[in-house]
Amino acid sequence: MAEHATLWRPRGAWDLYAHAGRHGRRKGPASVTVIPREGLALMSVTAVDGAEERLAAAVRDRFGLSLPEPGTALFSGETGLIWSGPGQWLVLAPTRGTLDGLGAALSGLAAVADQSDGRAVLRLSGPDARRVLEKGVSVDLHPRAFGPGRTAVTSVAHIGVQLWQRDDATYEIAVARSLAGSLWSWLDEAAAEFGCEVRG
Amino acid sequence: MRIRCPYCGERDNGEFSYLGDAAPVRPDGLEASAEAMHDYVYLRDNRAGEIRELWYHGAGCRAWLVVTRDTRTHAISDVTPARDVAKARAAKAHVTESVGSAPHA
Amino acid sequence: MLDRTPNFPPPSAGEGGPRVSEGRERGAPFPETSPPHPLAPSPAEGRGLGDQPFRTSSGGLIDRRRARDFTFDGRTLTGYHGDTLASALLANGVRLVGRSFKYHRPRGILSAGSEEPNALVELRSGARREPNTRATMAELYEGLEATSQNRWPTLAVDALSVNALLSPIFAAGFYYKTFMWPAALWEKLYEPMIRRAAGLGRAANAPDPDTYEHAHAHCDVLVIGGGPAGLSAALSAGRSGARVILVDEDFCLGGRLLAERREIDGVSGPEWVAQAVAELESLPEVRLLSRTTLFGVYDHGAYGAVERVSDHVAVPAPHAPRQRLWRIVARRAVLAAGAIERPHVFGGNDRPGVMLAGAVRTYLNRYGVLPGSHPAVFTSSDDGWRTVADIAAAGRRVAAVVDSRPDVPVALRRMAESAGAQVVAGGQVVGTRGHLALSGIDVRDSYGSTLRIACDTLAMANGWNPVVHLDSHLSRRPVWDEAIHGFVPGQLPTGMVAAGAASGRLTLADALESGARLGAEAAESCDFRATATATPRTDPESTAHTPLWRVAKPKGKAFVDFQNDVAASDVELAHREGFRAVELLKRYTTLGMATDQGKTSNLAGLSIMAELTGQKIPAVGTTVFRPPFTPVAIGAFAGHHRGKEFRATRHVPSHAWCLENNAQFLETGLWLRPAYFPRAGETDWLQTVVREVETVRGKVGLCDVSTFGKIDIQGRDALAFIERVCANPFGTLKVGRSRYALLLREDGFVLDDGTVSRLAENHFVMTASTANAARVMQHLEFCRQWLWPELDVQMVSVSEQWAQYAVAGPRSRDVLRRIVDPGFDLSNEAFPFLGAAEITVGGGIPARLFRISFSGELAYEIAVPASYGDAAWRAIMQAGLPYGICPYGAEALSVMRIEKGHAAGAEINGQTTARDLALGGMLAKKKDYVGRLMKERPALTDPDRPILVGFRPVDPSQRLRAGAHFLAVGAEPSLAADEGTMTSVAFSPSLGHWIGLGLIRRGAERHGERVRAYDPVRGGDVEVEICNAAFVDPAGERMHG
Repeated sequence: MAEHATLWRPRGAWDLYAHAGRHGRRKGPASVTVIPREGLALMSVTAVDGAEERLAAAVRDRFGLSLPEPGTALFSGETGLIWSGPGQWLVLAPTRGTLDGLGAALSGLAAVADQSDGRAVLRLSGPDARRVLEKGVSVDLHPRAFGPGRTAVTSVAHIGVQLWQRDDATYEIAVARSLAGSLWSWLDEAAAEFGCEVRG
Repeated sequence: MRIRCPYCGERDNGEFSYLGDAAPVRPDGLEASAEAMHDYVYLRDNRAGEIRELWYHGAGCRAWLVVTRDTRTHAISDVTPARDVAKARAAKAHVTESVGSAPHA
Repeated sequence: MLDRTPNFPPPSAGEGGPRVSEGRERGAPFPETSPPHPLAPSPAEGRGLGDQPFRTSSGGLIDRRRARDFTFDGRTLTGYHGDTLASALLANGVRLVGRSFKYHRPRGILSAGSEEPNALVELRSGARREPNTRATMAELYEGLEATSQNRWPTLAVDALSVNALLSPIFAAGFYYKTFMWPAALWEKLYEPMIRRAAGLGRAANAPDPDTYEHAHAHCDVLVIGGGPAGLSAALSAGRSGARVILVDEDFCLGGRLLAERREIDGVSGPEWVAQAVAELESLPEVRLLSRTTLFGVYDHGAYGAVERVSDHVAVPAPHAPRQRLWRIVARRAVLAAGAIERPHVFGGNDRPGVMLAGAVRTYLNRYGVLPGSHPAVFTSSDDGWRTVADIAAAGRRVAAVVDSRPDVPVALRRMAESAGAQVVAGGQVVGTRGHLALSGIDVRDSYGSTLRIACDTLAMANGWNPVVHLDSHLSRRPVWDEAIHGFVPGQLPTGMVAAGAASGRLTLADALESGARLGAEAAESCDFRATATATPRTDPESTAHTPLWRVAKPKGKAFVDFQNDVAASDVELAHREGFRAVELLKRYTTLGMATDQGKTSNLAGLSIMAELTGQKIPAVGTTVFRPPFTPVAIGAFAGHHRGKEFRATRHVPSHAWCLENNAQFLETGLWLRPAYFPRAGETDWLQTVVREVETVRGKVGLCDVSTFGKIDIQGRDALAFIERVCANPFGTLKVGRSRYALLLREDGFVLDDGTVSRLAENHFVMTASTANAARVMQHLEFCRQWLWPELDVQMVSVSEQWAQYAVAGPRSRDVLRRIVDPGFDLSNEAFPFLGAAEITVGGGIPARLFRISFSGELAYEIAVPASYGDAAWRAIMQAGLPYGICPYGAEALSVMRIEKGHAAGAEINGQTTARDLALGGMLAKKKDYVGRLMKERPALTDPDRPILVGFRPVDPSQRLRAGAHFLAVGAEPSLAADEGTMTSVAFSPSLGHWIGLGLIRRGAERHGERVRAYDPVRGGDVEVEICNAAFVDPAGERMHG
């Protein structure tokens, strides 16, 4: 198995693209910080018609969270439920593998599919994070229209994304893994004027 | 154009793709006639005025929607999930069939 | 949300993009040197300061302490910070700035705004050269380079001005008539001649070095225009707490308040503006966007605007875009775009020195420039006299005032006479004198006598047209307002109201009142409590006006559309020749079709047609205005999406390895797929591809097939759903098995093909082809949500979750034995052809294994979580070393599928049925499915339809070409003789010659027959033999092994 350990290492979705360090404007402090979120556990949960209430109860038992309404996300620490379509949610947990067995647990109530590897997730924060996003997101992100606990399935620069806000100046954005490079190239350019710090 | 998705809220029309008139109903089942299927696939009214049409929120929540739009002004008066419309239609058809005692194949 | 200091041009776009403001220089909205009231007598009559002979000694909203050197046609001149190129040119006495489009007539500066038709120049040089830029909108910066255009060799001596002598040829309808000349001469003679002679500026030949970006903004109230009405609207909406965006195309907010000597509540216009702007800047939900043109109005409150972030500096600051395209969504909009003054139509009205009266006031009051030393005024309205007053207030003399109205108020006459002006009431300017610039005018007085008056500037005042372009963008027509003799907005777009001059309320008092009221109402309708503040007091003004649509019997050409060189005589010609409807008039004469979209010309053209046809102007109608309001650089629309970023690129899970190993890539939709992997010593792609195919057929190969769509389908009715969307039967598909899947469209044609694997009783995974994956997902969602919502089906795309690799070739099982975790039996008996299993690899990593083969060899597809895609690829390559494994790309994959006769994108092209693709045999007979009935239409079951078969060249050395048409041997090429087309070709390493797939009439019955593959485009004409499409292993034994 030693051979496995050296050979079978997961590769981060942002490995080829998001290099740690200062990007864009050099002057002054960076007003945007980007953290590639690797190693998350992410599952899509699609409710069986008519089983929504039982699903909500099962989810509450397991995560202590209700099933969020359309356009919203609920978090308990770093574990969250994010609405992602009619009758569909993403379950997010900080460590790969922690959601294993969810499919069996929700059997008959929902179809569960692992998406941990399919989505590349970035955390974008800082005083100018919203201004960066507004260059690509056509959804209104003003605090009167969006805010912590809100989510949107939309696109950025013609790339499909799901976006959710964690706190006043922190957003997370999920993109199809194959498109991580293109999203990064947009983000790098959009954030350049503010100065952008990419954490490893 | 802006379309108010019942799930996602108002979005640019670029997030949606258009299919067309929502009125034709697919003649399901092995007993459906070729003529009925031909009408379903090809025959459309080309109305100037309000029309109910199918749009797909492909860059959003992936819901098919029935959008009521005035073709002369683009004014949109209603947007409903297509699935809800289809279920209501099926329920109505079921009632009609039960009344007419024609068993559904 | 304050983005910048909008009301004085910042020195440069600093880093920080939208926040270009680096604080106001010296902390004042206007230069301290500028007194609130901008005009003061100059020390020497007719002379300004130093080398700017037409600059007043003081006044204006320019900063005289900050000189700006610039060049025009190579000559170095000096202006001031706060100038436009136009005002700086006029200050330097430069009046000739361009040559006209068709006749190369000398042209000057007509206006002081975006309506400018004449003063178009090339700005900058090299890769940044931009043609057709309005000098009136170009902000002066140190080192600005401007070049006049459409002249040769120089502006003053333009050889092509002989076109003016040919003017009968270039008259209305010229293009249409030219096309009727001998056609042979068109391409060789006329077109090159016209292209050289007529035109505007030259685009840069090098790629644009600057960047552009997009941004989105949302607001409750959008205010379009930053003049008195717009500022008032923004104030009353902004004070309510509503989210307000105010856009203005100028670099200073204020509109005509910067250009007129007006008082509001006892302070000057500019002072009032400064106070208003300061308050707006203090409101957190108000965003002020100056240098921003709102160019388009779209349905449901969507707007397009372009912000010129860096056009006022020589080179954008690091990380700053040149321009930013805004997409604004607003619940309400207040259109306060103002009005555009109307020129008079008289002989020689295009001579440099003839200007709009409002523009003369702008240059004088805002820029401290009086464009001439002997100005005259030609007016049909009271506000034209304001020009006289302003010139007099600057201590200058006025040569003459010609008012086309017979009755001139005594007070105005006295005021003019005290400024030294000769007053001609009831007179008309009929002609102009001078060559490259105005030296005098011919005036016909009320008695019919002609007077000659010397002057070097003529200010025309003929009333104002509200800017009705933006409110007309949604096909809404403006309506005629007899009170102002102009068009005003008709039914406005939903959510939009018009205020101030844009609505036909031409006085300052009305602008302030309507702006404040409508701004408040807009905020109220967005559920904010807003009140319109009391309308401030203003000094009195008169808008009395009797329009003079054209001067009778003009001396010389009387221009209607300056930019397109359309004269009153062209409108007459169109009328004579029957092109009287407004849309025909426009197209026949090109009136209003230039880059200025007829901002100064449309009404003049309509009024002349009205006169000629005996109609009232509104009966003639108006043409439709469309976006953009002013030209927008293509780069702004493209934004980030240039070059490699034109569209997004998808990378396969093995991308890093492919980069490390010299893969050559191929674009398939958004995907960048490895096409082939050249090795040292291989000299062309074919050599590499042949080696890859031979390795797969002889040993083993590895190919990244992650690009296929993968759809997870679960639910009690999952199988029933699959049965309805697939044309072949699935009832017998057992758990742990895969099957080919054929999907039709409802009209009977093939949509796509793929596989369906049953992972558990109610759990399936369907694959779709790379190109059709999104379309198939949309189709399945349609079926699930709209056609059969009663089915219990849950569906989600897992395309991105799984890295999927084909391991193909006789040694593939040996390789996989070293990959799958111990305990899984790979033997043919335990895991036969079309097996599907959930397994683990690498010591417990979940994986899926499918025994499916595209190559026709013993083959597997192994799927691992995409994070492990890179590791799995490297592990398989390492495990395959002893067996001679090589990676193969999309090219070898394609060669092998052609060798096997599998249909792919070239055959599944939206025009083929299952039968056409020789797949008719698998169609289910006992179930309903999408496309079942329509595929039976007579046209789709016609035995004469082209059917998929194979083709081999009779002479094996000959190359085949996809796209060739099939003809009977000896037949003449004709549409009737066409029997079908070659869809895919490849050089077959297995057979040692070219092979092809194609669709040919009754192909199935014609094996062995010879036909021509005729390809006239590439000179191909090859005799081919029709054969079985499966060139290699037709019995399919290898993949079962």
